[in-house]
Amino acid sequence: MSSAFLSSAFLAGMRFEARVMRRDGAIWFALLILAGVALFALAMGASRVAAQQAAIAAARADETQRLSNLQKTLAQLQQGETQGKPAPEPPPYRDPRNAAFMGGGPAAAVAALAPAPLALVATGQSDLLPPAVRVTTGSKDSFLFADEIDNPANLMSGATDLAFVVVFVYPLVILAMAFNLLAGEREQGTLAMTLASARRPGAALAGKLTARVAAPIAVTLLAAAAGVWIFAGWERLASPGFAALLAVVLLYGLFWAALAAAVDGLGRGSAFNALTLIGAWVAITMILPAAINSIAAFAHPAPSRIDMVLAARAASTDADRARDASLARYADEHGGGGKPAGGPQEMTLRRLATQEAAFQRVEAIVAEHDAQLARQRDMADRLGYLSPAYLTYQAMADIAGAGETRYRAFLDRIRAFHVDWREFFLSRAKAGASLTAQDYAAMPKFTQADEELVGRAPAGLAGPLIGVALPALILAIFAWRGFRRCRI
Amino acid sequence: MSDLALAPLATTAPAKRRWRVVLAVAAKEWLELFRDRRLVWLCAFIMALMLAALAFGYVENARILREREAAAQADRELWVGQSAKNPHAAAHFGQYAFKPLSPLALADPGVDAYVGSAVWLEAHKQNETQFKQARDGGVGARLGSLSLAFILQTIAPLIVILMGFASFSGERESGTLKQLLSVGARPRDILAGKALALIGAIFALLAPAFIGAALALVFFVDRERLSIADQLIRLGALGAAYAAYLAGFAFLALGVSALARNSRAALVTLLAFWLANSFLAPRLATDAARAFAPTPTWQEFRAGVAQDKAKTFGHDESHPAFVAFRDETLKTYGVSRIEDLPVSFRGLALRKDDESGYVIFDRHFGALQSAFDRQDALRAAPGLLFPLLALRPISMAFAGVDSRSQFDFATAAEAHRRDIQNQVSDNIIHFAHDNSYVAGPELWRKIAAFAYRAPGAGFALDHSVLPIVSLLGWLALAGAFALFAARRLRPV
Repeated sequence: MSSAFLSSAFLAGMRFEARVMRRDGAIWFALLILAGVALFALAMGASRVAAQQAAIAAARADETQRLSNLQKTLAQLQQGETQGKPAPEPPPYRDPRNAAFMGGGPAAAVAALAPAPLALVATGQSDLLPPAVRVTTGSKDSFLFADEIDNPANLMSGATDLAFVVVFVYPLVILAMAFNLLAGEREQGTLAMTLASARRPGAALAGKLTARVAAPIAVTLLAAAAGVWIFAGWERLASPGFAALLAVVLLYGLFWAALAAAVDGLGRGSAFNALTLIGAWVAITMILPAAINSIAAFAHPAPSRIDMVLAARAASTDADRARDASLARYADEHGGGGKPAGGPQEMTLRRLATQEAAFQRVEAIVAEHDAQLARQRDMADRLGYLSPAYLTYQAMADIAGAGETRYRAFLDRIRAFHVDWREFFLSRAKAGASLTAQDYAAMPKFTQADEELVGRAPAGLAGPLIGVALPALILAIFAWRGFRRCRI
Repeated sequence: MSDLALAPLATTAPAKRRWRVVLAVAAKEWLELFRDRRLVWLCAFIMALMLAALAFGYVENARILREREAAAQADRELWVGQSAKNPHAAAHFGQYAFKPLSPLALADPGVDAYVGSAVWLEAHKQNETQFKQARDGGVGARLGSLSLAFILQTIAPLIVILMGFASFSGERESGTLKQLLSVGARPRDILAGKALALIGAIFALLAPAFIGAALALVFFVDRERLSIADQLIRLGALGAAYAAYLAGFAFLALGVSALARNSRAALVTLLAFWLANSFLAPRLATDAARAFAPTPTWQEFRAGVAQDKAKTFGHDESHPAFVAFRDETLKTYGVSRIEDLPVSFRGLALRKDDESGYVIFDRHFGALQSAFDRQDALRAAPGLLFPLLALRPISMAFAGVDSRSQFDFATAAEAHRRDIQNQVSDNIIHFAHDNSYVAGPELWRKIAAFAYRAPGAGFALDHSVLPIVSLLGWLALAGAFALFAARRLRPV
């Protein structure tokens, strides 16, 4: 930027416009509303985060309680055996020594996804996906699709969060400020004076525009900082995630400012500008995202999750049939009526074989479904470049740790943990070994490295940021040309 | 406005002549709307968008319907294909109840994506509906998808505002309003004419979409499963609700236009209201509903059920309730040992435990739905001022995709679960002589497949009284405001 540009014309334009704005009550009102809504949204986000944390704490307390009860019963059983006064034998599904049953439910481990440091910024998918699941030795369909209780109409309406304010409300305030800079002056008859009073009229107009759009952008950034400080703590302000948030909000604001300036630069009247910009806002924030979702869902429909359950059930009935056939062969070969020997251990092994068959089939279907969903989301992501609103919303969800990236990582971690968990219990069950107090102490634990989330910015933001910045730049060039060629 | 058309009129003109004024104003408004190519293109675009949304809705519905029918058939085959086993083991194997899709979900998908599509009906436990489609949609899907309801609820009012914001203010600015009033046209008649034109435009906007939806219903609804008349009544109710919603916007636009200093002020005021109605009010009302009528977390809900279930005996033979039930049963049959009972005590105990559970589940699930109902009522309460809050529940109810319809389905599924439990327990009671008893496929076949018939339009009406009153109130309020504004109409 040349020093000439920064000289009198630009700064004078900015100063002049700022003075005019200071005396306009409507502008103060709009800015106050914007700041108020942003702070309210962050307060709502903070209460949502608190509810998630409470749900996780409750799930963990329940896990501790269950394990404590099992260990207590185990101690009583062992004490009875050593003292020669055995306690009544519990049924296998309540027997803390029974590895096949305990790993399948009573001792289930809680896998929790703690809210990310900036979770209050966007709800994303956090209201749809439970913050904690109970991992068992069963197939994934039996535990992965648990849902938190919520009124479906609440979920459909969506939450008031900063992402909503930034994507929908913030651009409208910017448009209201900037839609008629030239047109308004032309209609009032002051444009000629403005152009005549500056040696570089284009620079003066750019200064005036900057003053107009800087106000809502600065208010939103300040409200975001104040809200995060109040509701999440000042240390969040120094995080890379917060810097990314500021960058996203700033770029998105600049996009709308550039669009307003480009339309104003066409030299038409205020009414034309207003209608065109409202049309653009409706198209970019409402119609395009909805169309993108519909087209992606049409091209790559999400597969039915029911397939997974039916596969697991089919595996179970197939295993039953195989057992019946085996029994029939045994009876045929051994003169009828007899049953294979083995007793409870034989039953356990059959049960495990059924579980294993279900597990394998469900794993294959989960992989197939994930691949289909990945195709759908890839297509939506590509089409998302048509709408800066779509990109901004996704970026904010990622910054909040409520986007797809983090959930995919969570599911990957569950996948690995599920393997360990099954191995721990099933190896003992297959060997006919009883669970001991040492086993309870050595059970795999689901751990989450929260600290790694605090220290780094969310990955994958470069694409969306460029996706917003590039059209903003192109529009800014159009706006600059329009301002330079400005007619009185 | 042509002076020739109005010249003979006076303020004391008879009704027939006043009606001519209304028609003349309406005709002129229509002509202006048609002459504004931007509005014509916009309306054409919105119509195309609505038809595309209907087409997407239809394709999606057909796909989901096929999937669920196939799944229901596959699940039935699994159920009847079970090998010989103890009937209680079969009850644990369970069945799935799949939620049939309402045909009008093609116009308004409602809460369907947020409630799940299937309930597992297993022994001892009432489950929530699983597999919310919205979970798979990704984060971008939270910005919505194209549906007729989405367009009519949010974009159509904007079109009405754009068509109406300059109705009076534009005429005042161009000087024709003064001219019109000076020839004796009464403000009320001018308002009626402009309202007639705007509402006519609304009907023209709605007609292709609703005709398309009606054709989709007539040609593609499975008449064996659903009453086509009922579906058309539902569609008619939807059409009436959307017409009332948009007509209210027409009156509001006219009223604001009559009172505003200029067209720009009218547009800004109307856009602010549209934004508040379409975006802020639904979310803020949801936040308020959550705050004033909280629902339990999953953990709290299940802990509450478990706490009550702990008072029943389940499979715990040392439970005091089990001992009491055993003693009572022995007394009833006049025997002193379980072995001497003429029926299976295990079967009796299972049935008793199930019956105790039914009461508990009814209480907890009923309380949960009541909490949802309170939230829905709170959300709809400001519908008089923000009509989207009143329209949405009506639209979802008549499309058969609201939380009440979901509860009706869940209740039917639970009734089916209870039927399964009762039949398997009865079988054990009468036929099981020892623990090795097994039943065969004839019992599995005897237990009917789940068949759900959604309630009729009367059900939707019963549960939509408050939002309907609110929506009519909105229309009346907007109409009264327009009349009030017309009375204060200033020519300059």
